[in-house]
Amino acid sequence: MPSTTTRRLAAVAIAAGLLMAGCAKDDGSATRTDCSSGSSAAGGSSAAGGSSAAGGASADCGTGISKDDVAGSTDDPLVQKAVDGYQTYVEEQVNGLVTDTKVFTDAVRAGDVEAAKAAYPTSRQRWERIEPIAALIGDTDGAVDSRAEDGVKDTESPEVTGWHQLEYDLWVKGDIADSKDLADGLDDELQKLQAGLPDLKITPLAVAKGASELIEEVSEGKITGEEDRYSHTDLWDLNANVEGAKEATTLLQPAIKKADPDLAKKLDTAFVEADEALAPYKDGNGWKSYEDVSDSDRDALKAKFSALAEMLGDVPGALKLS
Amino acid sequence: MSEQPRISRRKFVVGGGAGVAGLAGAAALGWNAGKDEAPASADGLPAPVRLPFHGTHQTGITSHAPAAALMASFNLVADNRDEVRAVFKALTEEFDTLMSGTPVPDRGEHYPPLDTGSLGTNPPPADLTLTLAIGASMFDDRFGLAARKPRELFTMTKLANDRLDQTRCHGDLLVNISGDSPDVCLFALRQVMRRTRANLVLKWMVEGFNRREAPKPGKAQVRNLLGFKDGTANLDPSSDALMGEHVWVAQGDGEPAWAVGGSYQAVRIIRMLVEQWDRAQLGEQERIIGRVKASGAPLGEQDETDDPDYEDDPRGDRIPLDAHIRLANPRTKATEKNKILRRGFSYSRGFDPAGRLDQGLAFVSFQRSLDDGFLAVQDRLSGEPLEEYIRAEGGGYFFAFPGVQRKGAYLGQALLA
Repeated sequence: MPSTTTRRLAAVAIAAGLLMAGCAKDDGSATRTDCSSGSSAAGGSSAAGGSSAAGGASADCGTGISKDDVAGSTDDPLVQKAVDGYQTYVEEQVNGLVTDTKVFTDAVRAGDVEAAKAAYPTSRQRWERIEPIAALIGDTDGAVDSRAEDGVKDTESPEVTGWHQLEYDLWVKGDIADSKDLADGLDDELQKLQAGLPDLKITPLAVAKGASELIEEVSEGKITGEEDRYSHTDLWDLNANVEGAKEATTLLQPAIKKADPDLAKKLDTAFVEADEALAPYKDGNGWKSYEDVSDSDRDALKAKFSALAEMLGDVPGALKLS
Repeated sequence: MSEQPRISRRKFVVGGGAGVAGLAGAAALGWNAGKDEAPASADGLPAPVRLPFHGTHQTGITSHAPAAALMASFNLVADNRDEVRAVFKALTEEFDTLMSGTPVPDRGEHYPPLDTGSLGTNPPPADLTLTLAIGASMFDDRFGLAARKPRELFTMTKLANDRLDQTRCHGDLLVNISGDSPDVCLFALRQVMRRTRANLVLKWMVEGFNRREAPKPGKAQVRNLLGFKDGTANLDPSSDALMGEHVWVAQGDGEPAWAVGGSYQAVRIIRMLVEQWDRAQLGEQERIIGRVKASGAPLGEQDETDDPDYEDDPRGDRIPLDAHIRLANPRTKATEKNKILRRGFSYSRGFDPAGRLDQGLAFVSFQRSLDDGFLAVQDRLSGEPLEEYIRAEGGGYFFAFPGVQRKGAYLGQALLA
């Protein structure tokens, strides 16, 4: 399994469509072909390679989304309001992300293992809230959030940069004397992300899909404990995914209520239930170790988030977004 | 999650009267139903049909050995009995929709399609069956059902030769799917799962196949991965009398009323150490099984259907006393009640860390009594020479619900009443 999950590739695929509003390609079908080959190549390659191949796809080609579709306009003022609100939300999160992460990287540079461990999960919160959208900018995702492949999870993976390599250094190696470059690199990448913000044009579809992809993230990496396999801080990330999905959905809710009141009601209930399902694992201002979540409790979480993902999958349809 | 109505086509292709739901005697579906009406293909196999969902018993228990099959075991996530009821209703509706080949409505380009599309717009007749069974864990303290547990149902325990992997054992619900090809089974599984995501979490699954040969009376249609004919002496599922005697729980069995018309289902994922087996001498293989490998005839006999005539061979000179077929079915008056209906399939799941192929038999038996059926047979087989080449790695004991006799009724309705 490549570190960069297929779902994340899908997010990048949206990215391609979004950022390529000005892409020269005018043949929709050719564009689709290009992109799917890019994604599958990424899926089969190594951790770092997967990310960069995906990044390449986002830079070079569109997806299934045509030029007209990604213009981002909508006739529905309620949807437009949601898009504007989400744009602001993403900007706030990215700006805060740079600051939060610096607390973490400063601790790493100071060689303070305990402080770095404490700051690791908090530094990732804002990233996890907006990851599918943030991944639209450049190759940030591959650079900051890649993981070593399963087969090499107990050994150092020099090709992996970003949070999870630092996580390895902190929890497995227990030695961060040589981790300063990784810390600097993480800061640099996030600053690049911040610099890319003005170019980010969020479409109505991206808001809706962003929400559902965050929940897919939960179902894919967090629910298995794979995301933070050394620190077991998965619940921090999982909750941040839910928060991000909830924000996007809440912004869209006035439009959904008008288009499909039944779906709107179900979504409200589902997010309340998601919070309730997570509540037992709160620990002060943070979250318990994912190792403390029993198999049957993991099943309950799986069911809850899978059902939510199904519901969110219907939002673009209800709003007729394309 | 959508509650949208489905387009009903109602085009059951099942043979004649056998397709009428709810009639007593509809048990003899499956094989006979298809044989009479469906034209045979060039290789002598009957053309696939749509098997009816409704009936006294669940159709997939007695339909013929499937070319493709899978079993998926789920943990049920539900807070109370009402939620369980909703899940069973959803499963019933989905099983009916899938088996009847009802196409889903087109929701337009903005929504995800309501089915996977892997079978095209109109799912073809494919001998598809979906069969629901429940495990002993359904009767723990979660749903207040403890007093309604079938009296012989329990969580499978390790037997002498077992190497059970707990991640491939047990489960609250077992969904059995069979059809004429693997894509049909996987299509059905995905449709069932998308419908029940909020409550069903996969615990384990096994997929497999049977080689089907043109049917001849009294001949097993399949060989297992040891290369031997499997099922020659199996009960004939088209015989209502035999099914009534050996498979269906009946009134007066001392079982809860809801279980009448259902059946105990034993599942054993039996790994075959095929490399080792393939190095065994032909003579040893035949003595271990008790049959001639090529013809399927009992040792010393001519034809697959010949009686092994154990009375004539009391010391096991011809067929060893510990041969598999002799232990499994000694053909005595006393062991008559131990007969079971087998409906398993072969599986292949890649290879193990030692580089050995990981394949075997997904053994399935249905029986009226677990004690008199599978457990009695297994007890006789314990210590058989074949154990050197096989070991059970997973499975579980389940109870398959009685059939759903009419639209609006649902699987497990009487259990939850």
